[in-house]
Order: sequence, then structure tokens, then C-alpha cells
Amino acid sequence: MPLTDRGRKILERVPGGVLHSTTGVGCEIVRHEELCVGCGKCAANCPSGASKRSETFDVNQLLDAPAESRRGQLGGALRRLMKHAPDGPVEVPEHVTVYRTIAYDDDKCLGCGTCVRNCPVEAIDALPPAVTP
Amino acid sequence: MTSAETSTIGAARQAAAAGRTIVAFCCRECAYAAADASANARTPLPPTVRLVLLPCTGRVSPLHLLGALAEGADGVMVAGCLLGQCHYREGNFNAVDRVAFVQRLLKTVGVEPERCQMFTMSAGEPPKFVAAVREMDRVIGGLPPLERSPQAGAHAGTAPAAGARGAA
Repeated sequence: MPLTDRGRKILERVPGGVLHSTTGVGCEIVRHEELCVGCGKCAANCPSGASKRSETFDVNQLLDAPAESRRGQLGGALRRLMKHAPDGPVEVPEHVTVYRTIAYDDDKCLGCGTCVRNCPVEAIDALPPAVTP
Repeated sequence: MTSAETSTIGAARQAAAAGRTIVAFCCRECAYAAADASANARTPLPPTVRLVLLPCTGRVSPLHLLGALAEGADGVMVAGCLLGQCHYREGNFNAVDRVAFVQRLLKTVGVEPERCQMFTMSAGEPPKFVAAVREMDRVIGGLPPLERSPQAGAHAGTAPAAGARGAA
């Protein structure tokens, strides 16, 4: 488990500071990408910068989304038109904000669960940390 | 019923017979006014086009564009103000990017991206509007008919309401 940027700066200031392992402290974060609506609240509130709105969009997120959701409606329309499976992620223009894939950096994740509390559609779950004997 | 209305209905029937439909989402402040002026001047528009009035092209969402295509339109066009002249400051910039996004979505699943295009004009340029519609009509006429798979799931009727309204 990594430190936050702030934590790293403090550690540099401490004379003779030694970092002890923090493994197993945070929750295990499980994401359900098909439920994500792309609001970006997880990225906006992430204290360690582990989750970010990316510049690309994985079109399969539209096709897998629940049918009644907005992404699902768009996916339904796209499914009627498509001639083959999507070639891959598409680049997203600047002013399109919600149709973006949230990129997660697991190496930076603290497991704090802030994203879980801020997710409006419960697309992220936090599992308790594994207890090591 | 005025002769203009009769001819619109006749044109719609012709278009249905020709089997091509273009849905044009028009900004109220510019493109729709230009369309109005061109109609007053009795400039013939291609019979394939259906106009949908929007308060601003910033209202257009990817769902409107894809939904219209999925529900029967062969092409969709968005006609808005000149860049920098949006009455809501940057609505047409949003529309430009959403159209570009829909084009990329179409391209990645193997559909011609030219089926969705953005045009800009001012309210005082009816010829530019007519030229845009004719250009769109020419492009769509050169493409094969858009193939659609049958509706899957119960949700499919709800999504493209805007497109269905535009085609009516």
C-alpha cells in the first residue's frame, strides 16, 4: 500500500524516518464498470489520485450497461446499428464529459473507500481487508 | 391547410417512397430561422429532410443522434450557430464535440461516420442552410441504406424518442 503524496512529503521531512509496511490496512476495492455512469465523483474525491477520468472511452461499457440507464439506452441504439464488435476504445472530445472510462491505478489506491461513499450508483464496492494472522 | 403544408406532406411521402430520411436538429436562434427564411423564399429543400427545433444545439445529446439513426433515420445533421456566436455562449462547441464523439462511435462499430454531421451558419444565411441540407442529402444518397438489427430487449422503444418525434 503506497503513501499519499502528502504522506510521502512528511516522511521526507522526518529525520531518519522509516516507512513501515501498511499492507492490509485498506479495503479491497471492487469495481463494476458496467454500472458506472461516468460522473467522475470517485476521481474528484480520490485522496491519492488513484482514479482519474481518462481521455478514452471503452465502447463495451455502453453495450454492457443496464438497459434502463442512459448509457444502456445509448448502447441499445448502438447495438441496433453495429456491423461488428467495437474496434477498441474511442478518443473522447474535450466537451464530452460523462462518456469517459474511469482509469484506476491500483498501485496508488489506499483502499480508503472514499470512492465507494461518493459513487451515486453503487458501482464500487469495498471489501474488508484480509486479516493476516 | 396552406399550400406550403400540403407540399410538405407530399414531400414527406416522396421521401418515404425514396426510403431515405435525414433528421436535422436545428438551433432556434440561427439554423431554424435560416430554414424559415429559405421556406419563405420558396427555396426547395430535399424532401428527405425532417427538421427538429432545438433551443440551442447544446441540447443535442449523443442519445438523440444515435437514437434517430437506430429508429429509422439514414443520416442526422446538427445545424447551429457560427462558432463563437452561440446565444448561450458555448452550446455549439458542446454540439461539435458530441457530433465528433458520435462519429467515432459509429466508426468503431463499422458504420459510416458521415451519417452524422455538424453544420454552422447564421440566421441571415438561408442559402448556407439549403446548401448544407443538399450536401447532407447528396452524401446520404451516395451511401447504402443503413442496416439495423431488430430491436433487442424491451427498452429499445424508449431511448430514441427524440428521433421518432423528429421523423414524425
